[in-house]
Amino acid sequence: MDRRDFLKTTSVTVTALSLSKFVEVGCERPPEAPTGPAPTGTWLDRQRAKWTWDKTYFVTHPQDCYPGNCSWVGYVKNGVFWREEQTGRYPVVDPSTPDWNPRGCQKGCMYSRVTYGKERIKYPMRRVGPRGSGKWQKISWDEALSEVADAIIDATEEQGPESVIVDEQPGQGGAFPHGVYPPLRFVALLGGTMLDANGIINDYNIGQYMTFGKFHGVSSQDDWFKAELTLIWLMNPVYTRIPAYHFVAESRYNGGEVWTIAPDFSPSAGHADRYVPLKIGSDAAFALGVAHVLIEEKLYNADFVREQTDLPLLVREDNKRYLRESDLKKGGNEEQLYVWDEKGKKLAQAPRTKLALGKVVPALEGSYRVKLADGTEVVVRPVFDILRARLEAEYGLDKVHAITGIHPDVVRNLAQKMAAKRTNILVGWCPPKIYHGDLMERAMCLCLGLTGNWGRRGTGVRGWTVLADMSIYTMPTRSGGSNDFADTVTELGRLVTALEKKHPGITEEDAHIELENIFCKLIGQVPPVFFWYHHAGYREVWNRKEWGDTAMKRTFDEYLQEAVDKGWWDNYVRPAPQIEPRVYILCGSNVLRRTRGAPKRLLEHLWPKLKKVVVVDVRMSTSALYADVVLPAAFFYEKAQLHSITSPHLRYWAFADKAIEPVHESKNEWDIFALLAKKVAERAQERGKKEYRLRQVVDINKIIDAFIPPGILGKIGDKLVRGKALKELQGFYGPTRTWENLHKRFTANGHYNAGDGEKLFDDALVILRKGGTVGSDTTLEKLRKTGFVKYTGLGRTPHGLNVATDVKPNETVNPFSWHTQKKIPYPTYARRAQFYIDHPWFIEGGEELPVFKEVPKAGGQHPFIMTSGHLRWSIHSSNVANEFALGLHRGEPFMFVNALDAKEKGIGDGGYVRVFNDVDEFTVQAKVSALPRRGQVIIYHAWDPYQFKGWRSYDTAIPGMVKWLHLAGGYGQFRFWVWNWQPCQSDRHIFVDLEPVRVA
Amino acid sequence: MKEDWKPLRQLAMVIDLNKCIGCQTCTVACKTLWTDEEGMEHMYWNSVNTQPGRGTPRDWEGMGGGFENDVPRAGRLPSISEFGDVPRYDYERVFSEGHGEKEFLRPKKRPDWMFNWDEDQGAGVFPNSYFFYLPRLCNHCTYPACAEACPIKAISKRKEDGIVLIDQDKCKGYRFCMEACPYKKIYYNYVTRTSQKCIFCFPRVDKGVAQACARQCPGRVRFVGYLDDERGPIHRLVNQWKVALPLHPEYGTEANIYYVPPIGPLRNTEDGNFDPSQPRIPTEYLVSLFGANVKPAIETLQTEMDKRRRGEKSELLEILIGWRWPDDFFSHLTKDPVEAGGGLS
Ligand code: SF4
Ligand code: SF4
Ligand code: SF4
Repeated sequence: MDRRDFLKTTSVTVTALSLSKFVEVGCERPPEAPTGPAPTGTWLDRQRAKWTWDKTYFVTHPQDCYPGNCSWVGYVKNGVFWREEQTGRYPVVDPSTPDWNPRGCQKGCMYSRVTYGKERIKYPMRRVGPRGSGKWQKISWDEALSEVADAIIDATEEQGPESVIVDEQPGQGGAFPHGVYPPLRFVALLGGTMLDANGIINDYNIGQYMTFGKFHGVSSQDDWFKAELTLIWLMNPVYTRIPAYHFVAESRYNGGEVWTIAPDFSPSAGHADRYVPLKIGSDAAFALGVAHVLIEEKLYNADFVREQTDLPLLVREDNKRYLRESDLKKGGNEEQLYVWDEKGKKLAQAPRTKLALGKVVPALEGSYRVKLADGTEVVVRPVFDILRARLEAEYGLDKVHAITGIHPDVVRNLAQKMAAKRTNILVGWCPPKIYHGDLMERAMCLCLGLTGNWGRRGTGVRGWTVLADMSIYTMPTRSGGSNDFADTVTELGRLVTALEKKHPGITEEDAHIELENIFCKLIGQVPPVFFWYHHAGYREVWNRKEWGDTAMKRTFDEYLQEAVDKGWWDNYVRPAPQIEPRVYILCGSNVLRRTRGAPKRLLEHLWPKLKKVVVVDVRMSTSALYADVVLPAAFFYEKAQLHSITSPHLRYWAFADKAIEPVHESKNEWDIFALLAKKVAERAQERGKKEYRLRQVVDINKIIDAFIPPGILGKIGDKLVRGKALKELQGFYGPTRTWENLHKRFTANGHYNAGDGEKLFDDALVILRKGGTVGSDTTLEKLRKTGFVKYTGLGRTPHGLNVATDVKPNETVNPFSWHTQKKIPYPTYARRAQFYIDHPWFIEGGEELPVFKEVPKAGGQHPFIMTSGHLRWSIHSSNVANEFALGLHRGEPFMFVNALDAKEKGIGDGGYVRVFNDVDEFTVQAKVSALPRRGQVIIYHAWDPYQFKGWRSYDTAIPGMVKWLHLAGGYGQFRFWVWNWQPCQSDRHIFVDLEPVRVA
Repeated sequence: MKEDWKPLRQLAMVIDLNKCIGCQTCTVACKTLWTDEEGMEHMYWNSVNTQPGRGTPRDWEGMGGGFENDVPRAGRLPSISEFGDVPRYDYERVFSEGHGEKEFLRPKKRPDWMFNWDEDQGAGVFPNSYFFYLPRLCNHCTYPACAEACPIKAISKRKEDGIVLIDQDKCKGYRFCMEACPYKKIYYNYVTRTSQKCIFCFPRVDKGVAQACARQCPGRVRFVGYLDDERGPIHRLVNQWKVALPLHPEYGTEANIYYVPPIGPLRNTEDGNFDPSQPRIPTEYLVSLFGANVKPAIETLQTEMDKRRRGEKSELLEILIGWRWPDDFFSHLTKDPVEAGGGLS
């Protein structure tokens, strides 16, 4: 056949084919075309010339795409950051697993376009119309910083420095020494209020925290490959773990089995072997059904249960509390708990300083009579026995079937498999965002505990942590230089030693947690919950019991009051109720996008109190649109930094080099805040202000005395620890501060001024070298050459120690082996993995053991339940409104609606729907799909509200409830420390209704 | 003559649909490298679509082209709207023109189709919903219908590796190729007024570097190499194990992008049990995409996976796991682009 035949068989002629304008012109490209001079030669030469460049740099995207941290090569051409491609040079870690290449995702592949996106903030701006009016005046950096400096001084004069507030956002704009670090350092030295990152974002696996005293049990992702059974549960790794999903797919090919447990046929169900379509919010019941089978069929690992969990501990039948030494004898230790020794047929103390039981064989079943100090006799039973009875009575498989919709055969099948296989639960940060998600996680952990599924390779459950914690308080304030950093690390080590001496039997992990708790008080890092309650209008919402836990016997107000009165949250109620928040500094933090219910709460209640809202960001966010001063920050490729989210999840941490100059008039964050510190000092001097006082500060001496009484370390120790380091802290964090010192200390006495970010970075690396997290030859220069570094240890920070395992150079990392193998206790009240919580509030709420509770009707009585998760297309909102990115899906926000529901409601695919409930309403495009179940609508986040009509996104219909029980304190692990124990907002399972609408 | 097109060796690709997560990193990698220029905005030489779905261009499977019994089949030109819109936005109007909340960021012209419009819509009735992701690019067909259709011979197939290229110096923009290509993987550049498509990254390939879509795939989904390289993954998956199949073999062009068909989870019964009686992804549907050979391919995959679950070895699964990147994936195209490419540093 020849060409003419072909022409004959086709229906269209040449003349019909002249299209003039194919698509509208005007795309988003770098300011100058990156192609350089037009190449000559044939089209083949020209095509080849496209794939050339002037210079390459190692880069990454230091934001919280956890763990992100993928090493990329940035290609720069004619001064323009042209494109990026994965480095692909990670050496093999564990020879028995596939390697790590080529880590990355599609977002990471398009930041070259986002760098030049039209949503970038170009220059400093001052609002000239009402807030949110979009009326701006371009101003100089100097004018902008003066305006902010004056606002800070005014606020401090009128309300005290705690009225100046900063969000600890998780590295949106960048990482050490940029991103959130400079604003945090600034506000800590000022004496302001720093809102805890996990408090604001709520990636807090609180059910795991209740169980283990930490939620930081993070394995390296190659360890996922070693699972024989992977349960994808309350997670959607196909969207959210793009760089690492291959380990799951490969484990499936390697004989592993993958189950996806979700209410919708989630994108991560497509590649599973089994899909469990449980009803929305019924996860705890499903897990408890599995636990039931494990016990009923005697599939549990009795040795593991006895040694690692609290299940053998004895509980009094009369008051549901643990049996304590203080019950048995006057003046006995309140924290000493008991087991029943089957061999000796008598009570035995549950060891607190180790997990190993010695000769004692604790009973798991039965009930025993015990004589108390006051002569009365009580019946005690092991937790296991109570649990068994509870599961039998309340979680029979027929009942579980009715609650979850899942057949008993499936529950049984899963229990049998979990008992036989190395099981890894891939859980995301969905549970904390569900009102009763803590119960779901506790129930999941219970199944793992019964089957001995943690502390071994290929097992466990996941949270998050960071190892290279270049915390703001490890940064020198004296003179700078790497020796100064090193000193700070040494001092921290001494403090830990002192704590260990004072409290014999506490672990290094415990000591670090304790220290962290103190530091939070010193630097003003607080859970945001009280700020929201007192200043942002959430009090009214949280008191709506029908949107929360109907088991509450008293009002939310009463619980909060009791918690505060009992001193459980001392130093954390900040700004105090009587103090007006005045200045809100949002550095890469899109608070009006992120905070659940923000438009109704923050805009209506908090904003009117604020005198100055300052946004430092790379892009226009909704928060920037409602700000008073907007400052442009340099983006990922415009400054040298180390990813802050250095997680055990991945063995290689990426370095982000500065490949191009900051675009437009942007500056990196170190420079911005160094200049601000200087400006504040200048303005204060001009205005004749010298000194200011803090309303309420922590009495540092009292804290020191409590932890390190004088003399305990001997004379030298006293001098070193109490004398030197802590006096210094007293100086920095004491009640009287000066404006001049703020600037001096911020720059470490002029050692790190604006422009010195790289010096600071290089010096700070000593923290990692000294902590053993990276090799001793790791320097800025070396990172520039290699692009990434392998972690060699967990370091000496609480978050590293929480992982509690040894790191071997050529093996995957799996957490908690220090507990399971070295028998080191867990940092919980019971010193073991704790399923029974005998805090009086938990007993009052019926949650002393994991139970299933109905989904609260948050939003009111409406027929649909709105669920969520991370969008495939964005990391937070960092690229969500970018033109290049928007071209890759539907070009605007969308919500998944079940096809049958859509038909019934007359909703067409691509049409708009009005979504409404008792809180508020919003309008969004409907995407009709076979994936959600009936009655479910799914809107993935994080669209920016300005992408919705009236700038009202789904967040506006979310009340933002917090669970009252999370205010409990005075009990083992129930105390705040950075990123930990605190109530956080839920946003999943919101009741709504919908109707089709037209949008003009 | 058909035989005239036969290259000495054919470079081919295998895409494992059991590992593909629809992330479109391949799409973005391709776009930033080759088609981010004026006149190319709408081009996605590599695109990934959720199946079942209408795909890109919309309903392309019904547009004809290719060969039927070696005779060209009539094809039609996809329209602009079928390729889908590339939305543009007026940022200033929302940010800084003083309209406040009255203006929100949305496409200036509301699209009703885009290349990835039907992402995650899928098919079936919950809980027996089903879907998978299907990446597509030019198939560098052994019998390129596009080239056959070009009246001025602007399309050639390289002898050394079978890469099909549209000569941009010759092309007059007649677009017969666009009609003739049954996979509808050719685009029209309205600035240069020529037809353009995937070039299989020949500038990279010529320097021993794998294609951007393959090398940048974080799912480790794509294998490349010569079809006749008996030790390479392509030959072993396509010819030896016969688990990798071309898309729409009935189009008659002998496509050289091969797919390992997807195996979905077990179906669910009304009362929440598993239903192993039939596959979740209907076999007829897979047959409609990959032809009847998909049945034995799936059987082989399943047999090998069962074997591995019993703890036995499986040579096939060793290949599909892909232990060592890039060596186990890209055959002779394993060079590091920074070292091999045209950079100065
Ligand atoms: S955005 Fe995050 S996950 Fe994606 S490539 Fe960059 S670092 Fe990796
Ligand atoms: S082929 Fe690879 S890069 Fe492309 S969508 Fe699939 S997994 Fe992602
Ligand atoms: S896929 Fe289409 S464009 Fe590519 S070679 Fe085949 S016929 Fe030609």
